[in-house]
Amino acid sequence: MTVNQNRKYVFIGIFLFIGLVYWIKAFSLQIINKDYRGIAENNALNKITLYPARSNVYDRNNELLAYNVHIYNLVVFPRNIENLDTTELCEILDIDRPKFAKLMYSAIDHSKVRKHNNEYNKSAVFYERLNKKQLIQMQENLFKFKGFFIEPSSERYYALEGAAHLMGYLTEANENKLAEDIYYRPGDLVGASGLEYQYEEEIRGTKGFKTVWQDRLYRERGLVKSRNALVKPIPGPEFRTTLDYKLQEYGELLLNNKRGSVVAIEPSTGEVLAMVNKPDYNPNILNGTKRSKNYRKLLIDGRRPLFNRAIKGQYPPGSTFKTVMAAIGLQEGIISDSTQFGCAGGYRMGSLRVGCHPHGSPLDLKNSIRISCNAYYCKLYRSLIDHPKFGSVRNGFAKLAEHWKSFGLGEPLGIDLPGEKGGNIPSLNNLDRRHGKSWRSSTIISMSIGQGEILLTPLQIANVACIMANRGFYYTPHLIKGIGATNSTPKKFTTRKNTSVEKKYFDLVVDGMAMVTKPGGTAGRTGVEGIVICGKTGTAQNSHGKDHSLFIAFAPKENPKIAVAAIVENGGYGASWAAPICNLMIEKYLNRTNPIYSTKIPLLEKRMKETIIE
Amino acid sequence: MSSSFNISRNRFDPAIVWMYVLLVLVGLVNIYSASVDVNNLYQFTNNAIALRQVMWISGAIVVILTIAFSNKNLIPYFAYGFYGATMFLNIAVLFVGREVAGAKSWFGFGGVGIQPSEFAKVGVALALAKFLGSYDVEFKGWRNILKSLAIFLTPVLIILAQNDTGSALVFLSFFLVLYRVGMPSYYLIAAVWFVIIAITCIILSAKTIPILYLIYVFILLASLAIYFLRKSRMAIYLTIGLLAVSGGFTYAIGQFYNGILKQYQRDRIEVVLGLKEDKRKTGYNLRQSKIAIGAGGIVGRGYLKGTQTKMGFVPEQHTDFIFCTIGEEWGFIGVTALFILYMALLIRIVNVAEKQQDPFNRIYGYGVACILFTHFTVNIGMTIGFIPVIGIPLPFISFGGSSLWAFTLLLFVFLKIDDRFSK
Ligand SMILES: [Zn+2]
Repeated sequence: MTVNQNRKYVFIGIFLFIGLVYWIKAFSLQIINKDYRGIAENNALNKITLYPARSNVYDRNNELLAYNVHIYNLVVFPRNIENLDTTELCEILDIDRPKFAKLMYSAIDHSKVRKHNNEYNKSAVFYERLNKKQLIQMQENLFKFKGFFIEPSSERYYALEGAAHLMGYLTEANENKLAEDIYYRPGDLVGASGLEYQYEEEIRGTKGFKTVWQDRLYRERGLVKSRNALVKPIPGPEFRTTLDYKLQEYGELLLNNKRGSVVAIEPSTGEVLAMVNKPDYNPNILNGTKRSKNYRKLLIDGRRPLFNRAIKGQYPPGSTFKTVMAAIGLQEGIISDSTQFGCAGGYRMGSLRVGCHPHGSPLDLKNSIRISCNAYYCKLYRSLIDHPKFGSVRNGFAKLAEHWKSFGLGEPLGIDLPGEKGGNIPSLNNLDRRHGKSWRSSTIISMSIGQGEILLTPLQIANVACIMANRGFYYTPHLIKGIGATNSTPKKFTTRKNTSVEKKYFDLVVDGMAMVTKPGGTAGRTGVEGIVICGKTGTAQNSHGKDHSLFIAFAPKENPKIAVAAIVENGGYGASWAAPICNLMIEKYLNRTNPIYSTKIPLLEKRMKETIIE
Repeated sequence: MSSSFNISRNRFDPAIVWMYVLLVLVGLVNIYSASVDVNNLYQFTNNAIALRQVMWISGAIVVILTIAFSNKNLIPYFAYGFYGATMFLNIAVLFVGREVAGAKSWFGFGGVGIQPSEFAKVGVALALAKFLGSYDVEFKGWRNILKSLAIFLTPVLIILAQNDTGSALVFLSFFLVLYRVGMPSYYLIAAVWFVIIAITCIILSAKTIPILYLIYVFILLASLAIYFLRKSRMAIYLTIGLLAVSGGFTYAIGQFYNGILKQYQRDRIEVVLGLKEDKRKTGYNLRQSKIAIGAGGIVGRGYLKGTQTKMGFVPEQHTDFIFCTIGEEWGFIGVTALFILYMALLIRIVNVAEKQQDPFNRIYGYGVACILFTHFTVNIGMTIGFIPVIGIPLPFISFGGSSLWAFTLLLFVFLKIDDRFSK
């Protein structure tokens, strides 16, 4: 026994005391407290959304219209920035200090906006679309820039600078969208107009997910080993449209520097071949971070470049409407092939006067179309509405309106684009309100020549051309040709819609239309050699300035392949602008594979492209 | 010359050797896990840090063999010499050392570094044993007490100068050794008293209450003592003396805490005492460390499957915070096993020390036990939030050559001088 040997027990006591205290603490941390496992998993596991590629969009000849481009963005997590070498970063990105500051402020701003789950700071795009050189240099030097990383992303591109109104654009899902569809998360892109909007669910694809380990600096550290760790995204299926890329492009060329719309449809199917609007915009500017800035610019542009005139613009159809009136007049037995009406410079009745240009008189039906005689249609219109068989003017008009509606007028046709307007066919109530209850056929005489209350969209006017081409029926115009492997067009687009006028009457109207583009017709100088184009000019008065130039046409006369309507705002006579444009479109489409150029076409084409109509 | 033939008579205590081997292996296995390439989880790949630890372990075996084949009689003989040498190295490192994480405590040789403060522990243990062993009597006389204190407070000052507070404070564990050689019990009680005063001071300054108030309390207590103890002059002197010392100590602590410690050190201390919300990095690390251990549950998350440590949420995961990896991957069962192993080692060392004839051996043994115990207490205490985050290794387990070699040297010198087997 040595001195103080018992003190050994004090030492052992102290050792065991600390050991016990720590053991109890470990017990409390590891067994009593159940939260830590979850916190640890929250820390290190991250479910990352894998975005599918949106559908590639093709035209009817498999030309690519819309596609995705892989890009790389420099992303910053502002909270993690440490000892940033600003000079070097600026050098690599080739930006100056003020630009750097601007980008940084913007990134910090965005990193705060996207908060959810009380997560205040998120990463945000610092510099978009790194070019190859920047990408390589950044990858090599990334370790120097703590808090920065490179993130792959994809951008939507559109092959045509135009067709913007058809393709539409993408925006970040807004709060309404987030609330109504759980598929979307803040920051997701969603179709906001055009086909991108209309077929969003079909072309967005299906998101995938991957569960990854994520370290303290939010860097991915490999896939979690579990069966459900990786769910691959399913890209949107190939989306084929009815558009003819070349025709669309050509239409945009012809309508350049003008305001208006050209719509071309395949009459036998209702497939929209081209739908041109001017002014328009380059859809590729509504891409990436500049989207909202550019969008605001377009929104306040007085020329209304975002406006899809073809389906939202509502115009008086002018004399193109005479084709409809002629068909209905024949159906109702008001006129026959040989009925003749006289014209002495217009139609007069009391104080009422509807002017007409000088021409031989009297005229039969076909020549009334060839010459576009106003008096003929005023007389036809009044005889129809006032016909004793209807009992009253009101009944007469109601019957007429019924016929009109069977031509797809007064209601949206139902094309697969958002925001289509229906034009205007006045109801009896409308007329009562406007003219008082005691209106007569003469009160509403302007509708006989496509003026007055009646308004049509360019699409409806083009559809009238289709009806003429088909001699009495149409298919709802549409842009979808097929999704994925199947050529499944929705049934509503393959259902034939008949008008209330029999085929034989259309044959007579079409004979008249065939004379319009021949010498002596109102569009006699715009015809194309070798092709029989059936057309009808229109010159629509409008309260805002010079008359609108209109034209409808289809060709060939037998087995028509294409029907076109054009409207050039403030273009004056139908024959001056709308007719040549329609005829050039037809010529382009029919002779694509076997061009037959008549001598005047290149000149006409040049004039169309170069003239500016403000 | 003769001792080299006496290997058979120089047996190392087998229990301690086995526990040592177990701890080193536990260390290696967990170092591998803590530093595994996270991109290749669940598969064994080359792991530079684990390979380096294998290298350090090989070095430790060389240390053991060197001790085994050396003459044990030379050890007490060179005790002061070794002490002097380690003190010299620790001073030298101030001038030619390499700065690592703010502390200038490393000698750099190419890619490897040696931390002389780790070896100073061996020097102090030897010198203290030599000094106190030569008086195997009561621990008396101011001169002896002061000399003993000087032996282990000198390295404290030197290592504080290296700016390595954690390593410096470890040397205070030798204070416990003095208790074994006869330091009166009230010294320990006084030490506890001073710790209470120190913590009170820290709480006061954290709450921005002047420390002077505590001194006023002592003055009040002194006045009361004069009144109540007026019958015994001796008691009055003693009490007033004690309170005066306490007051002085309070003042000194106040000066030290607010004047010498840096803000980040104050933050660490105050976070541990629960006086400050752990917003800063200190708190973040501590919180992540607790999450790691807590996430282990009863049986742990499985070897190589601890995400807290692998994904870098826990700092210094293969060195000072290696216990987090053990806690996370092996759970409460693993922690319990580790604690039992450590407690068994400490108790075994104390028991072996008590069996020594030579007081040098016994005192040295207590030195070894106290250092290991202090490292255990501080290292694990910081990972579970009982002690401020002070960067010192967990003996035999944490990654690192200096600490492994120094602790191996410390332990095997004790096994070498064990005189139960030789007479
Ligand atoms: Zn006329």
